Amino acid sequence: MPDQSQKTRSVGSGPSGGGDGPSSPKVEKPNTDELLKRMRKVDPDQAKRYRQRTGQ
Amino acid sequence: MAEPSNILFGIETEIGISRDQAEDLDVVAESIALVRSAAEPGVLLMRWDYGSEDPHADMRGFHVDELRQDTDEANYYAADAQRTLTHAEIKSDLVLSNGSRFYNDHAHPEYCTPECSTLDELIAQDRAGERILMACASKLSLERGSTVRLYKNNTDFRGHSYGCHENYLLPRSLPWSDLVKGVQAFLVTRQIFAGAGKFAIEEEDRFVSHEFQIAQRSDFFSELQSVDTMQRRPIVNTRDEPHANARLYRRFHVIIGDANMSTFATRLKVGSTALVLEALARDSRKPRPQLMDPLGALRSISRDANFKWEVRLQGAKPSTALEVQRFYLEASKSLCDLNEPWKKSVLQDWETVLDDLEKDVMTCRDRLDWVAKMALIREFQSSQGVENDDPWLQSLDLEYHRLDYAEGLYYGLEQSGVMRGVPDEVLVRRAMIYPPETTRALIRGKCVQKFAGAMESAQWDHVTLKIKGELFKISLLDLFRQEDIQAIAAVIDAAHSPEDLLSMKMVS
Repeated sequence: MPDQSQKTRSVGSGPSGGGDGPSSPKVEKPNTDELLKRMRKVDPDQAKRYRQRTGQ
Repeated sequence: MAEPSNILFGIETEIGISRDQAEDLDVVAESIALVRSAAEPGVLLMRWDYGSEDPHADMRGFHVDELRQDTDEANYYAADAQRTLTHAEIKSDLVLSNGSRFYNDHAHPEYCTPECSTLDELIAQDRAGERILMACASKLSLERGSTVRLYKNNTDFRGHSYGCHENYLLPRSLPWSDLVKGVQAFLVTRQIFAGAGKFAIEEEDRFVSHEFQIAQRSDFFSELQSVDTMQRRPIVNTRDEPHANARLYRRFHVIIGDANMSTFATRLKVGSTALVLEALARDSRKPRPQLMDPLGALRSISRDANFKWEVRLQGAKPSTALEVQRFYLEASKSLCDLNEPWKKSVLQDWETVLDDLEKDVMTCRDRLDWVAKMALIREFQSSQGVENDDPWLQSLDLEYHRLDYAEGLYYGLEQSGVMRGVPDEVLVRRAMIYPPETTRALIRGKCVQKFAGAMESAQWDHVTLKIKGELFKISLLDLFRQEDIQAIAAVIDAAHSPEDLLSMKMVS
């Protein structure tokens, strides 16, 4: 698998996380075109095949 | 000496694993293979010292004869005995150069961050773990000829849950009974920002229905406190394994949390919990909110479709999870030492999130997993005409947690630029190799980097080297002062061989 890490953009206030104070954030709706493609590719039965042992 | 303001923390995450085109996948074998794909020169393999672990020790001052999970564990061991692998080979413990532990826990690859003293360190180390896991999955996929999928979540939607535990090193002087009484309502209500969201209601070993709830783990708790972690899980886990000087420290082992994809959520979850614990350590007798029915509240908050999160406090007094959280926020403001920048930052984020959740939960879709997941999947459901009981919803839920930059839905949100708090890439890459500079993990990591070949074993509180045929232990039990950590690190840096450590009286 190619390393996709370069695609990850740093947003917000960087490594220190939020810390933006008490003002309400402007919430953008994500550009869903690319995401919709990913979501359409998800096999509807993927979770049906997913079986795990109970862990802690 | 243990100080309330110097709380260390770390995260241990059990990962879900599957592989395409693999009918009846042996998840244990797959987990072992995945962990072992990280083994390479400079990594300590199969040398974890289990001798000093005691999961039967209880904080309440006694020792249980058996855990509820002992029977399951015995059955697993019996099944695993057919594998012709030793216990050490099945566990496949690795200690990495960044001070982390990576191993097969039952049937899940588990990544444990090293001990951290700041949230920047923790977020970088947790992210580094994701990155290491993804590299292992790529390698194993090539070997197997089919895609290995990893999921940083907590359920298979069939009632089988696995954990993401947090650890907080606290002063032993904080009485256990005060700690339990003071923290319970916080742990039950913090899911309003720490939940990872789930398109399912479950019970142990079974799927119940398709409704959305805000937390993945809240279906799986049925005790107020106990030492168990796999069956009849408790809100407060009483395991007493400090992995430090037991006279001075206790490790608070939090098992109730979800695995977060959002680094903002991880940061707020661990940061707020650390502040609540610090406030308790400073004044454990200050009255805290007491829930009338903590276990009922845990479920009802998670499943509340209207996000009102109403609870009853003792005396049947009506309240909400938001009000309970605001109490803890104000107590943290007034009691904690806020000289460290991360603490102020967490308080600001905590307050803003509570305000935003109160106004309109959707405003938090850029920060909190449960809101981001719910919004994304509901919009998809609406645009595609997917019914509420379509199992596609669980599949999309699962893929939100996929550790794959090209396929995972959470990572897709990050790449679209809307998620806040994404850590600096440089820090993450560094954390894949190097330990935090501020904790004893620095010593563990440096020993692995320089002397893995001479290391006989490792544990959180010590490393043992074999030098000239004799065993020598470097104790980390009391190693928490910065000057002490840096002094020992300097000695290791200067050593050209393990024998040099002997001459420098580093080991005993």
